[in-house]
Amino acid sequence: MTPRLVLDGVSVARSDTVVVEPLSLSMDAGEVVALLGANGAGKSSLIEAVAGHLPIVAGTLRLDGRDVTAGSLQARARAGIAWCPEGRRLFPGLTVEETLDVAATGNRRVRAEAIERMFALFPALAAHRKTPAWQLSGGQQQMLAIARAVIAAPRVVLLDEPSLGLAPAVLDSVFDAVRRLAEDGAAVLLAEQNVARALAVAGRTLVLARGRVILEGPSERIAVDPTLPGALLGV
Amino acid sequence: MIEAIPQLLVNALALGSTYALAALGFVLVINAVGAVNFAHGELVMLGGFVAVGLAATLPETAVLPGLIVLPGVMLALAAVGLVLALIGYAPLRRAPPVSVFISTIAIGLIIQHAVTAGIGPEPRVGPPLIGTGSVELFGAVIARQQLATIAVAGLLLVAVHALLKHTRFGRRLRAAAQDPVMARAIGIPVVLTTAASFAMAGALAGAAGLMLSNQYFVAPTDGAVLMLKAYVATVIGGWGRVWGAALGAFAIAAFETVVAASVSYLVAEVLLYVGVLALLMLRPRGLFGEAEGRRA
Repeated sequence: MTPRLVLDGVSVARSDTVVVEPLSLSMDAGEVVALLGANGAGKSSLIEAVAGHLPIVAGTLRLDGRDVTAGSLQARARAGIAWCPEGRRLFPGLTVEETLDVAATGNRRVRAEAIERMFALFPALAAHRKTPAWQLSGGQQQMLAIARAVIAAPRVVLLDEPSLGLAPAVLDSVFDAVRRLAEDGAAVLLAEQNVARALAVAGRTLVLARGRVILEGPSERIAVDPTLPGALLGV
Repeated sequence: MIEAIPQLLVNALALGSTYALAALGFVLVINAVGAVNFAHGELVMLGGFVAVGLAATLPETAVLPGLIVLPGVMLALAAVGLVLALIGYAPLRRAPPVSVFISTIAIGLIIQHAVTAGIGPEPRVGPPLIGTGSVELFGAVIARQQLATIAVAGLLLVAVHALLKHTRFGRRLRAAAQDPVMARAIGIPVVLTTAASFAMAGALAGAAGLMLSNQYFVAPTDGAVLMLKAYVATVIGGWGRVWGAALGAFAIAAFETVVAASVSYLVAEVLLYVGVLALLMLRPRGLFGEAEGRRA
């Protein structure tokens, strides 16, 4: 079976400085892979490069076997790579319903059904259909940001720090959603600071430090690895 | 003066609704590309001259001459807006916004001088929307052109609102204006929404130019003042607020109409800019606050 997403020696630069050294990773459909590491380790840079927001300066990126390395942010979105960035970056003046409608694909009926699916995924949003995004609580904004990214049923979902600043009750629904997205067949790449939650939801984990993978393996093994605390600090 | 109040009110509404059309197009481009289009006033002026030119092709006996040429004027100026985007903005889209200021100032000057060179500096009179004459309303004599202007501009404002709020294209246009990167990340063709913003700005400027050209005439040098009015309306309304700019335009028109009627037009102009300076000091975010706040 062709892997869903393949990074083959991918290296990433941010304003001409290499921030991710050549990195290889293969993900199957339905798999959740966690990216852990200290601030500045390269997690967000890797996510943004796969999304198409930062340039891949070496290596290739393949989606279902197709080389998409040269594709723009918009082209990768259309090919099925969804990106939910750190800090959510919602459209502040659009309501919940408008936000989901602009992100959905298909005719009016298909889009309306997709919006209802998102309300089933995040019932807390359903009561706020007509609320502008900027008026939502932090947890509701995070749910909307994830829903906006995944409403078009993507093949790959990139989540950058979705747990940042959220209350424990909200975390449950966010990580439940991550699990359900994978069950529905998406490959989910999750950059997280919340180590316990990330290890619990991801089958595999990569720990980055200064742009390199320093620890990698099945999450249950990483969870008990004695070098993990040091690796998370980048030492 | 009391008996003149309905007349003044209608004047202010008519002038305000044309200013609002101009300001709306101005702010649509600001939102779409994050830069000011300093050629916007020239688009309004050009709309007036296109209206004069198209109306000259109509038979003398045509009723509703302005209404007949309106779609043509809007289409022509939409095309001019697209060309402006193509040569004034597209090559500079990765450059700092100040580059776009300069390129649009240059294009504005080119348009102004081309019109002067082509047909001369004299003011021309544009076609009335629904013919001349006046009607009596609430005891006041009111020009038909004024009423038609209010009606047509009002309809266009409602149409733009419906487009932005209730169509998927309009929502995508707003999304792309609020965060172009995230708009691309969900597959919105930002190139198209940007082009559409310039085309709409041109079309609305054209409509405003047509309506102003009948009552106030149109001359090749009108662009700068019109541009300044749109700019001031946007500042009053809160930078980047679409409907704030429209309200700002009505505020300017009301102020101009009342002061011009009670003192003089020149005093009105001076006081307007003094008022704007005062406003910027007292309420730097505009009369109507911000479009959307931020939550911590």
